[in-house]
Amino acid sequence: MPPARAARPPRPEHEDAPALERVDDYWIGRFTAMASPCEVLVDGDDRDEALAACSAARLEALRIEAKFSRYRDDNIVHRIQHACGRPVEVDAETAGLLDYAARCWTESDGRFDVTSGALRRVWTFDGGDRVPDAASLRHALARVGWRRVSWRPPVLTMPEGMEIDLGGIGKEYAVDRAAGEAAARVRSAFLVNFGGDLIASGPRRGGRPWIVGVDDPERTGTAALYRIELTRGALATSGDARRFVRHGGRRLGHILDPSTGWPVEGAPRSVTVLAATCLEAGTLATLACLMGPSAEAFLREQNVEFRIA
Amino acid sequence: MQLEAAPRGSRLRTRLGAAACLLLASSAAHAQAPDSTANTLEASTLLYGENKRTNVLEPAARFTHLFGGGQILSAELGLDVMTGATPTGARASNQVQTVTSASGSTSTSGTEIPTAHFKDARGVFDLGLQTPLGRLLRAEAGAHVSREKDYRSLGGTARLSADLFQRLVTVSAGGGYDDDGVFPVGGTPEGLTIDRGVVRYDVQPKRVETATVGISRILTRRWMVSLDASRTRERGYLTEPYKIVTIVTSEEGIPVATVTEKRPATRVRRSLLGSSVYHLEKDILYLTYRYYWDDWGLRSHTADARYRIELPAETFLQPHVRFYTQSAADLFTFGLRDDQPLPPYASSDQRLGPLRSVTLGATVGFRVPSQPGRFTLRAEWIHQWGRVGTAGGIQSGPPVDLFPPLEIGTLVAGYSVGF
Repeated sequence: MPPARAARPPRPEHEDAPALERVDDYWIGRFTAMASPCEVLVDGDDRDEALAACSAARLEALRIEAKFSRYRDDNIVHRIQHACGRPVEVDAETAGLLDYAARCWTESDGRFDVTSGALRRVWTFDGGDRVPDAASLRHALARVGWRRVSWRPPVLTMPEGMEIDLGGIGKEYAVDRAAGEAAARVRSAFLVNFGGDLIASGPRRGGRPWIVGVDDPERTGTAALYRIELTRGALATSGDARRFVRHGGRRLGHILDPSTGWPVEGAPRSVTVLAATCLEAGTLATLACLMGPSAEAFLREQNVEFRIA
Repeated sequence: MQLEAAPRGSRLRTRLGAAACLLLASSAAHAQAPDSTANTLEASTLLYGENKRTNVLEPAARFTHLFGGGQILSAELGLDVMTGATPTGARASNQVQTVTSASGSTSTSGTEIPTAHFKDARGVFDLGLQTPLGRLLRAEAGAHVSREKDYRSLGGTARLSADLFQRLVTVSAGGGYDDDGVFPVGGTPEGLTIDRGVVRYDVQPKRVETATVGISRILTRRWMVSLDASRTRERGYLTEPYKIVTIVTSEEGIPVATVTEKRPATRVRRSLLGSSVYHLEKDILYLTYRYYWDDWGLRSHTADARYRIELPAETFLQPHVRFYTQSAADLFTFGLRDDQPLPPYASSDQRLGPLRSVTLGATVGFRVPSQPGRFTLRAEWIHQWGRVGTAGGIQSGPPVDLFPPLEIGTLVAGYSVGF
């Protein structure tokens, strides 16, 4: 999303250290985590300091990815998925995320639901025109709904066949956590950007802001819609910039309404929210998209800084 | 579907923001747990020196083990070696004095405070266990035993804490009990007698009961405040067996005799401690204020500020400043007059006197490249002085410094390593 992100080849995940590069008067470290290009910008001259920040951010990203990825068989998400209806006791960090997910579900009247994984699998948002048939939608919807889950911290009991997907908050959480890790190691201002969800620790030298470009949903990766000057705080974007399906002459974004099983209609192409933490920004952006045509009204009501495209 | 209809408004954002902050604040502590090691060994050595007085060398080692279920076991072994001189309590004067005591003898000339030389060692063993009870409750229990030449202590503590309001508030309550024994070298003297009076050779018991309650609250992602209150009741032999009180002539204030000191057999101490921890962008500011009062009439105020500056390469620097002031206990006196009857209790122990001190110090923590573990070095300078004339001063005789300023230096070197 910042200009520097455009058209970089993703780097292998097994790399031991992030690749560090000097750009103008700052350092930029790049790596891949959570299936996203990640970068850490450090506004300083000391290479060791920049490397320490990038390495710490990368390790934290990889740790969170390993712990909450749905594509591994050695983590807590796998244990929950394969408990076959039996209660699972989770650790404190997972409990914290589940608490947060439960809060989002309540606040969004059930629209934000970390159990909508089954629903997501019957949809393919590749820009084509395939939509699921009614039977498979019904089947998926039967396995979706936080209200079917019993969450009595630290014990989670989920009916067999249901899925949990912390991906909707995991990346933003990782950005905030990685920034925390980096902050413990550098005094220079820095910016952590995981696939467009980002946080800046403070203004650059001389009080200059970080310049963040926002993707044009129509021309992903090649053009920026506008620029945001960010000195401190987080920025997250939600929308269908890359993932959509065409149906009945309409373009449907990948944000699914767990009550109908269909993508939310009339949602903005792209919602960017500025907040103190990436988690807050990301959640508000997602909630706004879930509101469909009233996304803008919703954000205005929240008294939050945002951009809608 | 229309959110405008829902009577929530910007409160939704506030609630979400608070939930996000809470998650991040709490995860900061435990997110590293999978990477962190189960065992930690910490070793430290304290060097403490007062000018012309006590020197303490205190090596200690502490082992901590973290169990999978979240239980934490810790064991600590410490040793204090003290040498030097301690004020006997006798009053400074222009007369040459000779003072004897069971722990040694000294002669002081001129206007110096009379002191007694001593050498002592103390061994301490401490065992603690902390365990979560469910997700929101925590229990801690500890036991300690210590032994030195003329003092032994055996005690235990227990504490229960609970997280409330989505972990924004933590309340705790605890208690402790110590069963101590005092057996002074040369026997226990009778209080307020010349030449130590009747000496008893049995162990003098001292029992200490402590109750504490505390509440801490996360105000914002960066700011936490807490308030702790404690009440301690001591019963038994609370007198310092080697300390003495000078008797002076009523007119000139010339020392004519010394008597052993005597303190009441009970003491109830109370304290209130307020703390604030504020995380700035990278640095952390710690502020504490403590008010202490007891039924011996001693009141004290302590204000303490520490500022942790995070430097690159996992190094930190933490300057520290503390102000302390205490009023004298009712029984404190610089000397008793020979024309008046003896009070029921009296002590010239400077620690019960009108004291002030200022502490300046700094801690630096660092790693040695390509070496495991973390080093810390802490140096502190304490300047302590008395407030003569505010309590019990005998305003007569030639001017002598009854309560000379004291300079104290401490140096602590520490090393901790996980494995």
